[in-house]
Amino acid sequence: MEHFIIGTWMLFGDLEALFIFVLGLLGGMFFGAIPGVNMLTLGAVILPFTISMEPTHAVMLYSVIYCSGVFGGAITAILFNIPGAPENAPTCFDGYPMTVKGMAGKAIGAAVCCSAIGGVCSALLMMSATGPIANWAIRAFGSQEIFALIFFGLAVSASIGSANLWKGWLSVFAGLLLATIGTDPVGGIPRFSEWSILNWEYKSYYLSAGLHFIPMILGFFAVSEVLVQATAISSGMRQRMKASMEFPSIVEFWKVRYTMVRSIFIGFFAGILPGIGATLAAFLGYSQAQKWSSRKANFGKGEMEGVVASETANNAATGAAMIPLLALGLPGGALTAMILGIFQIHGMEPGPLIFKNSNDLVWITFAAMFWANLLIVMLGWIQTKTVVHVLRIPFRYLAPIILLLATVGAYALRNLMIDVWIMFFAGILGYFMRSTGYSPAGIILGLILGNLGESAFSKSMQLMNYDFLGFFSRPISGILLALGGLAIISSIWTEIKTSRSPQSAIKRTDN
Amino acid sequence: MKIKQIAAYCMCIFLMGSFVSNADTMVTPPDGFGKRPLTMIVPFGSGGGSDQLARAMAKAMGEVAGLDFQVVNKPGGGGTSAIPDFMLAPADGYTVLEHIDNAISAYAAGDISENPAVDWIPLCMTQITFSQIYIRGDEDRFTDWASFEAHAKANPGAVSMANLGKIGSMELVVMDQLQSALGIEINQIAYDKPAERYGALIGGHVDVLFEQPGDVRSFLDSGEMKPILTIFGERPSVFADVPTHQEVGADFEALTRFRGFYVKNGVPDEIVAFLSDACAAGFNTDDYQEFNRSKYMHLIDSFRDTEGSIALINDAVKTYQEMYKILGIGN
Repeated sequence: MEHFIIGTWMLFGDLEALFIFVLGLLGGMFFGAIPGVNMLTLGAVILPFTISMEPTHAVMLYSVIYCSGVFGGAITAILFNIPGAPENAPTCFDGYPMTVKGMAGKAIGAAVCCSAIGGVCSALLMMSATGPIANWAIRAFGSQEIFALIFFGLAVSASIGSANLWKGWLSVFAGLLLATIGTDPVGGIPRFSEWSILNWEYKSYYLSAGLHFIPMILGFFAVSEVLVQATAISSGMRQRMKASMEFPSIVEFWKVRYTMVRSIFIGFFAGILPGIGATLAAFLGYSQAQKWSSRKANFGKGEMEGVVASETANNAATGAAMIPLLALGLPGGALTAMILGIFQIHGMEPGPLIFKNSNDLVWITFAAMFWANLLIVMLGWIQTKTVVHVLRIPFRYLAPIILLLATVGAYALRNLMIDVWIMFFAGILGYFMRSTGYSPAGIILGLILGNLGESAFSKSMQLMNYDFLGFFSRPISGILLALGGLAIISSIWTEIKTSRSPQSAIKRTDN
Repeated sequence: MKIKQIAAYCMCIFLMGSFVSNADTMVTPPDGFGKRPLTMIVPFGSGGGSDQLARAMAKAMGEVAGLDFQVVNKPGGGGTSAIPDFMLAPADGYTVLEHIDNAISAYAAGDISENPAVDWIPLCMTQITFSQIYIRGDEDRFTDWASFEAHAKANPGAVSMANLGKIGSMELVVMDQLQSALGIEINQIAYDKPAERYGALIGGHVDVLFEQPGDVRSFLDSGEMKPILTIFGERPSVFADVPTHQEVGADFEALTRFRGFYVKNGVPDEIVAFLSDACAAGFNTDDYQEFNRSKYMHLIDSFRDTEGSIALINDAVKTYQEMYKILGIGN
C-alpha cells in the first residue's frame, strides 16, 4: 500500500510523468479506436523517442498505452464491427448488433466500465503478488499445460460467431491450416512458401515469415465490413444507424455480476501465462458467459452480457501479462516484447532483481496502470457522448477512410507490401464467409492459437520423447485435455439434438 | 504513410541534435553523399537485440559522420523477409542492412541465394560473441560441467536442452559438434522465442540452456542461471572459472554469433570506404562502447572492418558447409 501511494505520488507529483501518462492514455485510446491502426502501430512509431526519455517514464508510457489501447479497440468493434486487436474480436459479436439496434451508447458504456473493472482488479492482484504468481506460473505451466489450455480454449470457443457448430469448426480449421504457412517451429522447414508446378518455381521469403494476424483481422473485419455495407447501400437495404448515447444502468450491471467475476478470473489466468494472453481470455470469457447465461439465446444478437464478458476478460489479461514480464523478464505478446526492448535500450533488464534495483519503476508502472484503468471510465463516458456521432457520417465518406487506414495499418506492421495484399484477399474471402454463416473470428482464433498451439505441442512431444500419453501423466494438462474432449462431445451432442428438434425443422423449411 | 513520415522527421531531428554536440571527431562524406536520410533495414522486430544494435549504431554514425538514419524493421522468416527489399533498393549506399550470422548459415544451407561476402559488402561487424551452456542457479543434480557430463552419460537422451529449432543454425551445429566430440546425448528442444527458452530453464521444464551471455545477463546477475561451459577458444575474464569446450576435450573451432552492417555490391567504392570508416568511428564512441558493455560484447574482440568481416564470413561459410555435409543438410 505504501509503495502504491509513493508510486501514485511520483506519477501525479511530477509534471513530466503526468504529461506522459495523459499522452499515453489518450494516444492508446485514440490509436485503439481508429479502425485500421492499433496500439502496436503507436508503440512502434514512438519507440525512437523513448531513447531520450527516462526509463521509468518510458515503461510507464507503454503500460498505459497497453491498458487504454485494449479498451480503444473495443470502440471500433462496437461501432463498425472492426476489432482494434484480436482480443476485441468477441466484442463484435454482441457489440455491433447492439449498435445496429441503436444501442451503441449502451454497448460502449458496458465496454468502458467492464474494461475498467477488469483492468483495476488485475492491477490490484498484480500489485499484491507479482513475484509469487510469476514463479508459480512458470513452474506449473510447461509446454504440455500450455498446449492443453489452448486445446481446451479451442474446444469451448470453436462455434462462437458462426451459424452453427459445423461451420464454426470449419472456420477454426481453416485458421489452423493458415497458421501452418511459413517456417515450422521445430526444424525451420519452409511450408507453403516455396513450390514448383511443372517448370514454374515459386519461392517467397515473405511467406516464409508466415501470415501475421493483424492484416488478417483488418481484412476479415474492416475490408469485409466495407464490402457488406457497400452491398447493402447499393441494394437500398442499408438503414442509417441511430446514434444513441444512453449509458447502461447500475441495475443492468448488477445482473451480469457473475459474468464479470468469471471473466476477471479467466482474463487474469490467461494473461499470466506467457504467450497466451488476452485473445484466448476474451474468447474464453465470451464462450463461458454464453454457456452459463440465462439469456443464452440472445447471444450474438446484441446481448450486453456478451460485451461485458469479453471486455472484462481482455482488460484483466493486460495487468496479468505484465507479471511474467516484470518478475521474470519474459514477455507474452507483441507490446510486452516492446516494453522489454525499452528496458534493454536503457541498459536494464526486467526480472527478479527489478524489485530490488528499480522499485520506483515497478511501482510507478503499477500505479499508472491502476489509474489508467480507472480513468478509462471517465474518458469512456465522454467518448460515449462524442464518438458515437461518427455513426452520423455517411458511410460513403467513412468507407474510403476505413480502407485507407486499414492499408496503412497493415503495411506499418512489418513494412511489408505482402501484408496489404493479404489484407485485401482476406477481406474478399471474409465477405463470402459472412454471407454464408462461417465465422471470420473463428479463422482468427485458429490462426493465433494454431501458431501457439503447434509450437507448444511440438515442444511437449520433444520433451516427452514423442509419447502422447505423457500429456495425461501431468495433472493440469490431463484435466484440461479431458475437459476439452468432453466439451467437444457435448457440443456435438447438443447440435445433433437441436437440429433434429421439430422447431429447427420448421426453421429449415422456412429457409 | 503519414505516421512513418512523422516518425522519420522526429528521428532526424533527434539524430541531428545528437551530432551537433559531437562535431569534433567527424568523418567527412564524399561530395553530395548523406544529404538525405539513409535507410537502415533491421530484419528483426522493434525492441529486439538487432533493433537495439541498429539504433545504437545509427546514433553513433550520426555523431561521427553527420548521417541521418531511418530505422525500418522488417521481421520474419528468421531474418530472410527483409532481404528482397534490400536487394531491390538501388546500389547507392543509401540503404544499409543490419544482419546477423543467420544470413551466413542460411546462405551455406542454400536457403538464400545471396552470398553475404560477395553479393553484399560488409561495412563492419560490431558485435561478436560466444555461446555458453547454462544451468539453474539452484540446480542440485549437477553443479559444474564435470558433474553435468557424468549425469548426461548416466542418463543418455533423458537430459534436455532448451535451444533454437532451425536445422543448420549456429546453435544446433555447435551442439552437434560438442555432442559427437564428447560422446554425450542431449535432447535438443526447439523453442522459437527467447523468452520461452529462458522460462523453460527457470521453470524447471528443461535441464540446461544454450545461449549467449549478453542475452541472459539479468538472469546471471540475479543468480537464477549460471554458466557451466564456455564455447570459445579461451576463458573470457568475467567467466574465468568456467571451462571452455576445448578444455573439457571437445576439439573444434567454435562458431560465434556476430552482428554487422552491409550495403549491396555495386555501391561506389568511395561511399563504401566512407560508411566503413563511419562505422569504425561510431564503434569507438563512448555511447556505443557503453552499449556494447551492457550486452557483454566487450569480453572478446567485437570489431571487424570490411576485410576482417569478409574473412570472418568466409570462414563461417566454410565451417557451416563442412558441417552440413556431415549432417546431410541443404544442397
